Amino acid sequence: MTEWDKQLYFDDVVVDAELEPVSIPLSLQRLVMEAGANRDLSSIHHDTEAAVATGAPGVYMNTYFIMGMIERLVREWMGLQGQIKKIGPLRMKMFNCVGDTVVFRGKVRQKNEENHLVVLDIQSETRNGETVTAEATVCLPRRN
Amino acid sequence: MGKPTWGKWGTWEETEAFLGKQVGQNTGADDVEKGSIRRWLEPKEFDCPLHYDEEAAKCAGHEGIVAPSTMVFTYGIPAYWQPGDPHAKPGDPPKGIPIPVIFDVPAPCTLSFASDIEVEFFAPMRINDTITCSSRLTDIKHKTLKVGKGAFMCQEDTYTNQAGETVAVSRLTIFRFVPPDKGDE
Repeated sequence: MTEWDKQLYFDDVVVDAELEPVSIPLSLQRLVMEAGANRDLSSIHHDTEAAVATGAPGVYMNTYFIMGMIERLVREWMGLQGQIKKIGPLRMKMFNCVGDTVVFRGKVRQKNEENHLVVLDIQSETRNGETVTAEATVCLPRRN
Repeated sequence: MGKPTWGKWGTWEETEAFLGKQVGQNTGADDVEKGSIRRWLEPKEFDCPLHYDEEAAKCAGHEGIVAPSTMVFTYGIPAYWQPGDPHAKPGDPPKGIPIPVIFDVPAPCTLSFASDIEVEFFAPMRINDTITCSSRLTDIKHKTLKVGKGAFMCQEDTYTNQAGETVAVSRLTIFRFVPPDKGDE
């Protein structure tokens, strides 16, 4: 459970600090629920035959789902007053397939004192290795 | 990680004619509202009060509940069917999501894959906002890769609300190509 009364301040961010990882098991039910909710109804994300025909081992997580999980990772770390400014460049390296559990991790790369922006390195992995790499930029409040 | 997708056929001259131009515009099927936000949070097991608790959102400096930032993609997608559209016929192929650089910009390519995407966020999405997405083709870089000969094409999507404020701008790079055996020109 995330304690939402805790706020992360720019002053307290340490370069190289790691974010608390988040993980999500990809059952077919979850992928279908996600496709319906995020409206990317491309067959490759819920129809095994269609996914396999394109060379994937099975149906896999779509980009909007990945983006949303990165938002969750970052939001749980920074609290309610942080603002997400940018996600990306985001690169797909391997499929996140049905049956996999995907773990999202983040690490502080740099802090910019002038505009209170913090840049994070993000990655996701499954038992097969690294699946996605991305950057995220957030703006955090300062302690008075 | 190449994956065969769709793609309108045409010559490179036809592709170049689209450079810098708007290649698509869609208004989201649904306005921002609590039900669709809840259904979006659910499969991600994402518990964040900004997206369901009015008081918590106000305490954090918002006017009220806001949608998750990355939900902008969802709110920019038009309906798969709407009143006035023809009914589906047996055997019709499934519909894809609108990616104009693949669907509407012709290129002498049969396959494509997305190589990277980035998105910047500006105005928040508030309850009852309507999101419109305008797409431009901003770059074409010809390249031969292992998977085939083609071009990296950049689609820039600008998401705006009903007041004309920019909510987000995303840049999607897609490599459209033909596999080597068909690529001899």
